[in-house]
Amino acid sequence: MRFAGLAMKRKQWEPLAFASPALALIAFVIVFPLVYSFYLSFQNFDLSVGPEYEYVGGKNYAEAIFRDSRFLGSVWNTALIIAPSLVLELLLGLGIAMLLSRVIHGRPIITALLAIPAMVSPVMAAMAWRMMYGVKYGAINNLGRQLGIIDVYFDWFSSPFVSILAVVLVEIWLNTPFMMLVLLAGLQSIPTELYEAARADGASPWQRFWSITLPLLKFTMAVGVMIRLIDLTKLFGLIFVLTFGGPGGSTETVAFTTYLMGFKDFRMSYAAALSYVIVGGVLVLTLVFIWMQRVREARAA
Amino acid sequence: MAIALERRVVATQRAKRHRLWRRVGHALTYLGLFAALVFFLGPFFWIVTTSLKGNEDFFAFPPVWIPVEPSLKHYAALFTRSSGARYFTNSMVLSTLSMISALVFSLPTAYSIARWRFGGGFLSIFLLVLRMLPAIALIIPIYIVYKLLGMTNNYLGLVVIYTVLYIPFAVWLLVGFLRDFPVEIEEAAMIDGCSRLRALVQVVVPIIAPGMAVVALFAFIATWNEFLFAIVLTGIETKTMMVLVTSFTSGGTDMFYGEASASVVLGVLPAFAVAFMLQRYLVKGLALGGTKG
Repeated sequence: MRFAGLAMKRKQWEPLAFASPALALIAFVIVFPLVYSFYLSFQNFDLSVGPEYEYVGGKNYAEAIFRDSRFLGSVWNTALIIAPSLVLELLLGLGIAMLLSRVIHGRPIITALLAIPAMVSPVMAAMAWRMMYGVKYGAINNLGRQLGIIDVYFDWFSSPFVSILAVVLVEIWLNTPFMMLVLLAGLQSIPTELYEAARADGASPWQRFWSITLPLLKFTMAVGVMIRLIDLTKLFGLIFVLTFGGPGGSTETVAFTTYLMGFKDFRMSYAAALSYVIVGGVLVLTLVFIWMQRVREARAA
Repeated sequence: MAIALERRVVATQRAKRHRLWRRVGHALTYLGLFAALVFFLGPFFWIVTTSLKGNEDFFAFPPVWIPVEPSLKHYAALFTRSSGARYFTNSMVLSTLSMISALVFSLPTAYSIARWRFGGGFLSIFLLVLRMLPAIALIIPIYIVYKLLGMTNNYLGLVVIYTVLYIPFAVWLLVGFLRDFPVEIEEAAMIDGCSRLRALVQVVVPIIAPGMAVVALFAFIATWNEFLFAIVLTGIETKTMMVLVTSFTSGGTDMFYGEASASVVLGVLPAFAVAFMLQRYLVKGLALGGTKG
């Protein structure tokens, strides 16, 4: 053992050497582009104009935050999609997880089946649902007509409001399974003795849920919501395929608007500035969330 | 005596009522789960049956839910007319290469963190922050640089990006597996004259192979599903399945249902396989890595 200890001390370069290939790649593919993009965001690089560009200071940021009604609209749209998605994913995920935790036979197989959408790409999900929303050949309109619920072919993407609902429904289909898995893991870590003791004391199921399940699941729920919130701010592929931002830009998300700015209008500097505004927003959201957790914990203590 | 009897009667009645409620509760539980299964699996069922329908079935009313004469002709059309075979192969090759590359780069880094606490906690946090970074913030500078270097429409360019994107996730999971691995075995190998790298490759890797397989499968599916970099950086030869699918959206909501549904079936196939293989690790994997572009 002394031998091995000596060998470890002599080679102090080893930790760095082992980590360096990955760190070098991260430096080239993440750190350098981020720095370059930050630099670009203060220029006026526009590929549709030409390869030359010059320093313009904070003009791009000022435009994004104060004047660009399209980008500000996309912030609003993103919020409109995120809020109902998060709430419904949490409620549905919790409901299904609680049902699953009560099941004795076949829990693994039911869980695995319900989890499948969590592995599906948003693009493929959007394509499948786009076909299901289809006006004449879609499953939803056809099922509705067959059951006599609707008697016209309904266009799910004709109004902004219904379009957002349609996006939210796909989002829920795609990501409730993740919430369900997280909450199921959380539920299973609650000791059953607590429930037994509460039952012996005559607590009703509702009381048991309210004073055991919910408080002990709060942290898991917070983590799940946090992860979903951060991922929802990246919403892109689903929009690209399902609505392409329509109708009238009502489902354009921040990531989608930035993409259009960069790869349709080719305003590279401006798109870089927008992406930094998004990064800033995500950062603020994360910090606010962490702060809220702290305050709540402090109050509980 | 009479009181005791009465008590017993009340008790059995209560037990009976209790049993009845339990049965109702069970029935409702399974009913709820059945509804959830219909909602979450229904779209798969519809997309698979649609991909097997004949063209006249699309127009039929009442709708044809299960085709009477299933045919594979939409798959044939997808493979011949839309070069589906090529794009499927592209996705396979890209995902496989990225998966291997992500493992090769992540394992030594994870080892360094697990054995020597390299970076002293800072590195782990840094990797976690990278996971939150929106891809949209990287695509603009990377596109400009790749254009300059002529790296667009190129497997290598994409593999490099995907490798880096999954390093944080792979390192996080591998650190966990390596911490569970007894150091003594490695040290014994090193006393016998093995270099540390050889000990890692020949002693540690075979034992943590199952854990590495989990990481590999997640990296595979994540690359398979990735969309933003794929749509910006691929050209006609290097398109992936995700990019191919978008070509069916022109034509409004009523489009080429046959080929579109066939491509979706092929596009979600790996998700099905992996969801079953990785069941135990789904929570951790999804939370850390995300499998979505």
